[in-house]
Amino acid sequence: MTTEVRSMAEIAQRLKRRWLELVLVSALLLALGVLFSTTGLTLGDVISKRFLGATLRLSVPIAFAALGGIFAEKSGVINIGLEGHLIIAAFAAIAGVIMTGSVWAGFLAGILASTLFAVLFAIVCIEFQADQVIAGLAIWLVALGLGPFLSTVLYGSVNTPQTGSFQTITIPGLASLPVIGALFDVTPPVYLLYVAVIGCWYVLNHTAFGRWVNASGENPQALDTAGIDVIRVRYVSVILSGVLAGIGGAGYALSIGQFTGSGETMIGGRGFIAVVAYLLGNYNPIGAFLSTALFAGLQTLQIQLQTGVLPASLVQTVPYITVIVVLAAVGHTRTPAAAGEHYESGDE
Amino acid sequence: MTDSDSRWRALLHRIVYASAFERMVISLAALVLSILVGGVLILVSGRLTTCPTAATTYLGVGFCYDPITVFDRLFFGALGDPMNPLFKPFAGEFAAPFRAGWSPFNAEMAVTLRETTVLIFTGLSVAVAFRADVFNIGTQGQLVVGAITSAVSLTALGPVAPSGIAGSLVLIPAGLLAGAIAGGLYGAIPGALKAYADANEVITTIMLNFVAAKVALFLVSGPLQRADSQIAQTEPIPAAASIPSVLFDARTGFSLVALAVAVCTALACYYLLNHTTLGYELRTSGLQAAAARYAGVKTDRTIVGSLVLSGALGGLGGAIYVMMIVGDFQTGVPSYGFDGITVAILAGSNPLGVLLAAPLFGIIQSGSIVIDTTTNVPPQLVDVLRGLIVLFVAMPEFFRQFGRRFFDDDGGEIDG
Amino acid sequence: MTTAVQLDGITKRFPGVLANDDVDLTVEQGTVHALLGENGAGKTTLMNILYGLYEPTDGRIVVDGDERSFESPRAAIDAGIGMIHQHFMLVDPMTVAENVTLGAEPRKWGGLAVDADAAVRDVAALSEQYGLDVDPTAPIETLSVGVQQRTEILKALYRGAEVLILDEPTAVLTPQEVEELLSIFEQLTDQGKTIIFITHKLGEAMAAADDITVLRDGQTIGSIAAADTSREALAEMMVGREVLLEIERPPVERGSTLLTVERVSTPSQRGVPAVSDVSFSAHAGEIFGIAGVDGNGQRELIELLTGLSTPASGSIVFDGEVITHTSRRDRIERGIAYVPEDRHAQGLVMPFDLVENGLLGNQRTSSFTDTGRIDWDACHEHASSIIEEYDVRPPNPSASAESLSGGNQQKFIVGRELARDPALLIATHPTRGVDIGSTEFIHEQLLALREAGVAVILVSSKLDEVRGLSDRMAVMHDGTFVDTVDPDAVTEEELGLLMAGEQPARGEQQ
Repeated sequence: MTTEVRSMAEIAQRLKRRWLELVLVSALLLALGVLFSTTGLTLGDVISKRFLGATLRLSVPIAFAALGGIFAEKSGVINIGLEGHLIIAAFAAIAGVIMTGSVWAGFLAGILASTLFAVLFAIVCIEFQADQVIAGLAIWLVALGLGPFLSTVLYGSVNTPQTGSFQTITIPGLASLPVIGALFDVTPPVYLLYVAVIGCWYVLNHTAFGRWVNASGENPQALDTAGIDVIRVRYVSVILSGVLAGIGGAGYALSIGQFTGSGETMIGGRGFIAVVAYLLGNYNPIGAFLSTALFAGLQTLQIQLQTGVLPASLVQTVPYITVIVVLAAVGHTRTPAAAGEHYESGDE
Repeated sequence: MTDSDSRWRALLHRIVYASAFERMVISLAALVLSILVGGVLILVSGRLTTCPTAATTYLGVGFCYDPITVFDRLFFGALGDPMNPLFKPFAGEFAAPFRAGWSPFNAEMAVTLRETTVLIFTGLSVAVAFRADVFNIGTQGQLVVGAITSAVSLTALGPVAPSGIAGSLVLIPAGLLAGAIAGGLYGAIPGALKAYADANEVITTIMLNFVAAKVALFLVSGPLQRADSQIAQTEPIPAAASIPSVLFDARTGFSLVALAVAVCTALACYYLLNHTTLGYELRTSGLQAAAARYAGVKTDRTIVGSLVLSGALGGLGGAIYVMMIVGDFQTGVPSYGFDGITVAILAGSNPLGVLLAAPLFGIIQSGSIVIDTTTNVPPQLVDVLRGLIVLFVAMPEFFRQFGRRFFDDDGGEIDG
Repeated sequence: MTTAVQLDGITKRFPGVLANDDVDLTVEQGTVHALLGENGAGKTTLMNILYGLYEPTDGRIVVDGDERSFESPRAAIDAGIGMIHQHFMLVDPMTVAENVTLGAEPRKWGGLAVDADAAVRDVAALSEQYGLDVDPTAPIETLSVGVQQRTEILKALYRGAEVLILDEPTAVLTPQEVEELLSIFEQLTDQGKTIIFITHKLGEAMAAADDITVLRDGQTIGSIAAADTSREALAEMMVGREVLLEIERPPVERGSTLLTVERVSTPSQRGVPAVSDVSFSAHAGEIFGIAGVDGNGQRELIELLTGLSTPASGSIVFDGEVITHTSRRDRIERGIAYVPEDRHAQGLVMPFDLVENGLLGNQRTSSFTDTGRIDWDACHEHASSIIEEYDVRPPNPSASAESLSGGNQQKFIVGRELARDPALLIATHPTRGVDIGSTEFIHEQLLALREAGVAVILVSSKLDEVRGLSDRMAVMHDGTFVDTVDPDAVTEEELGLLMAGEQPARGEQQ
């Protein structure tokens, strides 16, 4: 009797999800239809190497930040400050290139800066039990100030000078395939992204550490009483989120070759979009990558549309509005049960 | 242990544990710590950049920036340098404390109070939402929407409004109302999305900030752009709609009337939260939604309501910004909304606390202009301080542990 | 016979609280030992010390003849001690095998991957060996509470536990599941395992244990073989005075029908019927009890009655008027008072003081507000009078709710709800986690209401309580009323069957 009831519940839940997905997909199709019909863009423009290549390049910051966010939140620490990690990594990467002249050294500098921010965030949240959302916002605000501040100190302007950037690596043969050849004609951070997506998926689903991360966010006491140090699992996860977001921020800046710090900086909310991407991907690295591709695709589309008839500033709102619509449609994702809560073991 | 010693300890215990007082101490400590960290940042930056002569030398190392000068400019510069250089109480020299010729109505002071006025609104906006457990990061967007709506409505009303004082009496309330309504409606969007679609308001409000900025840019560089203007700005609002300045120079863009309105708004918010049924319901659902539902509160409506109120306060801030400071709407609105987050957090989300935190941040914002003109330190320093303050206030446990260690107290919680 | 565990003079001091005071405990290998005491007697603290969660302030722990000190659960596990907590330490989305092996995963590929197949195999074998009948591949969230508990036992056995500690293991089980658990105890002790279980239920200690140790106020009152004692003697040891185990319920004439519930159904949040086709009526001057194992739709039914949700079908009539779809506020205004199940989440706002908590639910009542403005003086007076009348301690209206003990919190809630002068009181688990003194007080209040002609609906999973207080009682299982019975005539066995959803023999065959 009970098992029957359970399966009914699952069916009902699945039906509800299907329904949401249906609404979502039809809304997107409608929006795309309107875009195509009003701008004269053809499907050929979208299904092209150029489009796919640009989408992959724009996926780097969002996807890496999303992968990082998955680890942090799965372990029970909501890292809403991913935007801050991206900003500081982007700036440090460019500054690193200017100082050393090496793109790879800049890349490492960016990752290091973001990782340091993650260590700070981890200490603040885990050791000093800060409210995770407020601390995450603080990390963002600090980076939002620090990037342009240091840029002005060093280069006299919130925007850095143009530097060297990553060159694309073309894999002979594969790159000449139609359309998907673009997957093999990209910069190193994009190749790194392929590895990271598979790697994160493997770690989370097939290693003991992945199990611990999961348990740490669902029921930290269960993990603690099983003899695993919850605090250590959370530290590692949060720092990992900083490393991954750092790769994203540095990789993005180094594909452009400049840090721009005016307004919301060059990152422009991509860290927050990353949060929505992993929610939409249901904390699955592969799902997060696919939903990132959706948002990055929209941004690519938006860049291409700016040459069209619609005013640029209006077209620029499309990705942001999509994020809101998507979030409203998938609002009911199952977040880790203990996400956002402090954990203290035993007595002091 | 002597009697006075134990009394002193009891007092310290209260300092470390008492809640309302504790919050104030933590806010102050966070501020001091931010300034210290900011000082280190200034020194480090001073080594990173190059300059013909060192601004200061510590331990034989020259630095291009001197943190003491910077913070002196930041705080005293923002007040128009009130201190008499001969007044050195610590050195035993008691000249008149205030500099001769210093007037409280100076231009720097006007800028400080001008920023304070807008920050009271944005701080209240964030604080009120916080009390309902809603993280409204969208005050910036709500302020922009309120500002542009207020500017446009005033321009439209101008020709039909009476002239002179009568015009002001009609136009100023109308402009404020337009801003509040627009901001409130814009706040209703994330409110409804949170209440009825479970969409996290932190993300939606941040996205709506971007949307507001982009749409405003489109409007003022397109359909609403001032005729013959090269920059993105609307037509100027009618003269009668400008909030009159009192005692201060009109060119400074500060009005005591507006400040009075801001203070009254803060008092009204305090009264609303603590002495009305609505406020009680809002606080209850912010602390424990299940208890609020038990008490017959419709928590979905409370969420929407708190964001509408929050948005309206942000929109009011926008209207004040237009009617007191710029006189039209143009892009490049300062980040009052984000500063509002800091003000609210520093204030412990208490409207009366906002009245203390907003001037502090008004000083910092106004001081950043002084820094920009009198030192070579980038004024973005202030944005870093903003983040640091939020970070430190967010970790009260740090100060508690510090306090416990420092005062050697064995207090702690009972394990369950 | 050898001694498996010996605790000597264990003392545990928390800031301001002496949780264990010189406690002794000796457990023989291969036996079932009950640790009996009231809430707050220090039973769980003592076992947490044995399990390495707390460090004792003083005292000696001897396991298998060696003196040990455990600085972490891991050390206790290594010494062969396993603990099954009252709230299961299970990760809901993971499977049984994943949970059992958590932190001790079998690895392959040089440790780079978890050997999931080996985990399933090992767990299946262990389940077989002790007759636990658990499917290793089932996700925890799809399992009944009884199976989850057996998963916890597997977890301990997988880690090589020789001594199993169970904290209040029967609190969430049906009488039949309790029977199953006791037979599992037998299987385990037959294979040489030792079991210590914490309980506050006399009957269970008597039925399941070989030996019983009673704790009170953090001290050992005594140890005794179960065969050599009686319920009455144990009760006196537990409470420190003679206790009336029976509730006196004087006869009261039943009044008119006040509430009529007609065939209400409601789906749960997951779309499954949580309440299906329930009908009953409640009368003035009557306590109507609803018994059942937790999670069988009681909460959802009560939410329908109190206006926290509305039914998908059916009707609710109160005092002659249909209120099926009216709001929570409307129910409050009609004089339906409600003592909620979860006082920490619903009944009180923990950071608020008692003045503010006294206003909870009354915030739109004219005696406390005037056109939206709150009269704090009136609220203060109100809170003070509740505190005085219901003996809430500390007697300080400015104390925050979270600073009060469970019993005092509950007395304050009961006081606040009764001060509404209700026509109907709905009380769910009014004495859960409440000390015996406050429990007696709350029972007296409910009986006084009944005499005053108020209708009372009482939901409780404590059978003694619901049987003792109710004039009529329904048994709820899987969202339906299995039967409505006379609490004085029904036997314990019949109730057990009803709670499991089966009609006793006298009912119709289905």
